[in-house]
Amino acid sequence: MEESFRTPAQWYDGQSAVRHEGEAFWDGAGQLALRSMSSNLDTALGELVFAEERGGQRVYRWSGDDDFRLILPADLPAGLAAALPSRRKYGAWVDGLGLGKATVLFAGVSAGLLALFFTAPDWLGPRIPTSWERSMGDALVGDFGNRICHTPEGDAALAKLLAKVDPAEEKVRAGIANSTDVNAVALPGGQILIFDGLVQEAETPEELAGVLGHEVGHVRERHVMTALLRQFGLTVLLSGMNTGVGDTLFGLAAMDYSRDAEREADEYSRARMLESGISPTGAAEFFERLSARIDYDEDSLLGWAASHPGPGERAEAYREAAEGRRFTPVLTEQEFGALKTMCEEDENVEVMQSIV
Amino acid sequence: MADIKEKANNAFRFDGNWQDFAKIAFPNLLLTIATLGIYRFWATTRERQYLWSHTSFVDERLEWTGEGRELFFGFLIVTVLVGIPFVILQFIASGMIFRGMQDYVLVMGIILFLATWYLSGVARFRAMRYRLSRTRWRGIRGGSDNPGFAYGWSYFWRWMVGILPIGLLIPWTMTSLWNERWQEMSFGPYTVQSDAEPAPIYKRFLLFYIPLLLLVPMGFAFQSSELEGGMGAVLAFSAIVLVLFIYFGMPLLSVAYYAKFFREAVNTMRWGDVEFSFRARTSDWIVLYLIDFLLISATFGIAYIFIPYRHWKFYVEHMHAEGEIDLDAMTQSQTATARHGEGLLDAFDMGAI
Repeated sequence: MEESFRTPAQWYDGQSAVRHEGEAFWDGAGQLALRSMSSNLDTALGELVFAEERGGQRVYRWSGDDDFRLILPADLPAGLAAALPSRRKYGAWVDGLGLGKATVLFAGVSAGLLALFFTAPDWLGPRIPTSWERSMGDALVGDFGNRICHTPEGDAALAKLLAKVDPAEEKVRAGIANSTDVNAVALPGGQILIFDGLVQEAETPEELAGVLGHEVGHVRERHVMTALLRQFGLTVLLSGMNTGVGDTLFGLAAMDYSRDAEREADEYSRARMLESGISPTGAAEFFERLSARIDYDEDSLLGWAASHPGPGERAEAYREAAEGRRFTPVLTEQEFGALKTMCEEDENVEVMQSIV
Repeated sequence: MADIKEKANNAFRFDGNWQDFAKIAFPNLLLTIATLGIYRFWATTRERQYLWSHTSFVDERLEWTGEGRELFFGFLIVTVLVGIPFVILQFIASGMIFRGMQDYVLVMGIILFLATWYLSGVARFRAMRYRLSRTRWRGIRGGSDNPGFAYGWSYFWRWMVGILPIGLLIPWTMTSLWNERWQEMSFGPYTVQSDAEPAPIYKRFLLFYIPLLLLVPMGFAFQSSELEGGMGAVLAFSAIVLVLFIYFGMPLLSVAYYAKFFREAVNTMRWGDVEFSFRARTSDWIVLYLIDFLLISATFGIAYIFIPYRHWKFYVEHMHAEGEIDLDAMTQSQTATARHGEGLLDAFDMGAI
């Protein structure tokens, strides 16, 4: 047992602002007696809680009464100091480990979480059932509020074109949007929009088949879900990091595909075109024409013409695929014409405002 | 017990130093980076503990009893109640745009903006309430029983009224909101009184406001004028003067107004028998901001971690109080205490000291 000890002490009872000045008697074991002219108190050392150290003093609270404050000098005998609750500095976890170790541990966990966070869309996206994606997509984009052009002849031509580049039983849903933008998008839920502006730019149905096949590729390779997850994650991350709710206006429009995803979609498109006997040469020319003329936001999902693989490299790949083969026209003149005039002839369709 | 009366004269003192503060600020920075920002709640708490405990009122130091986890929970609550709905709304908005309902999205955006406006008022109130409830002096704390939702509305409509007549009523907005907020606060048994008036600060406000009003047509005039010959040289010269005025003159005038406002606001405050005054002049504020700026730019931003220290010290050193405190009558606050910290304020990025 340690020797008993007495030291000057001050305390506040938490009931009034009156300061009690007197002495603290330590019995050498677990009890502390506070004695002054105005107040007598006894407490077990174990009931004290370290509050803070300040200019040569240590402040303790009392677990029984949050308002009570005991102020002792900082230089106490080792025995008493050891019996009092230890001082806290950075917070329980860091104090337990030490600053250096805690920093390394936190940094390691953070790096792991970041890695998980940034790779999650890539492995999680393709594992999300298509049916979920479809309902999610329907909730997100819906039916476009009568902004898709329809004529019986045009619909038939589009269905025929789609059948060539999307052999699966359950087709993706594709439509021509009444917008002058030169663009095409694959949206969540396997919805593909080709903007009328792009249809008007196309000189042959093969060019359209290249675009449509590329977008179908995004849907079939599950890129849309991956991009959607990444987008969602970024939104949450950004709003969590700076917590400035006002400045994280990210929407679908900012969604983009990775370079690899673009290449995969191209490969998918070429493979389907070859299977169906569609010449990829048209697509190659179309890419070159568009990229020469249009300066889109490189990173945007909607900046279709500027999609990642360099336009030259991309057209080359399509040309190579065409070498040494013979192809039949994918649509008749009439069918292609029906696609071109679809938006003009549909009297009920409304104009889609530019989304970007 | 004897009736103790303390003479409180020049009652506030600060005895911290930046070297000691650095020993807190640098590990804070390190841990905040290593935890991707999560530690900042504990960092803030440690800084406040230091600043409070080195600030004395009359003959006793202040104590900060807030804890990192309170701020963290406050942040989590706001993330769930405000952040997640906000993210979901953004996706709904994109969906609506795809459905061609731009008009509704615009309406939704306006509603969101107004809601943010209201919530930022609530946030300011609740942050002050939290800070007072975690501040102790001689074992006694402060607080408020008002949750601040009514203040949110006041904040909303008073700013609306202040701005609508092209900003002419802003001094009234600022003083009346200051009063309304402080009058809901108490420390120990005494409620704070605050009677700031807009009239004494109007001259300073107009000093800022009239040049601002003149700048708009002048800007248009410069844009539409043709820079030719001698007239062009005169115009170019006045344009330079104008730009200098916008970048240096206007900030100075706004500081001059704010200095006056803050003096008026604090000087009309009473707490029990204690009267407060704030004695920083415009030049003091300018020196404060100028040195902030120089320090931050000279250290490539690292000195940013000393800003809370510098500003706290500035406030304490210019704060004065006179009057008498009856320590026996100074009993414990009976106000309710919120269990979580200033999450809302944090969310709206107004979390300076």
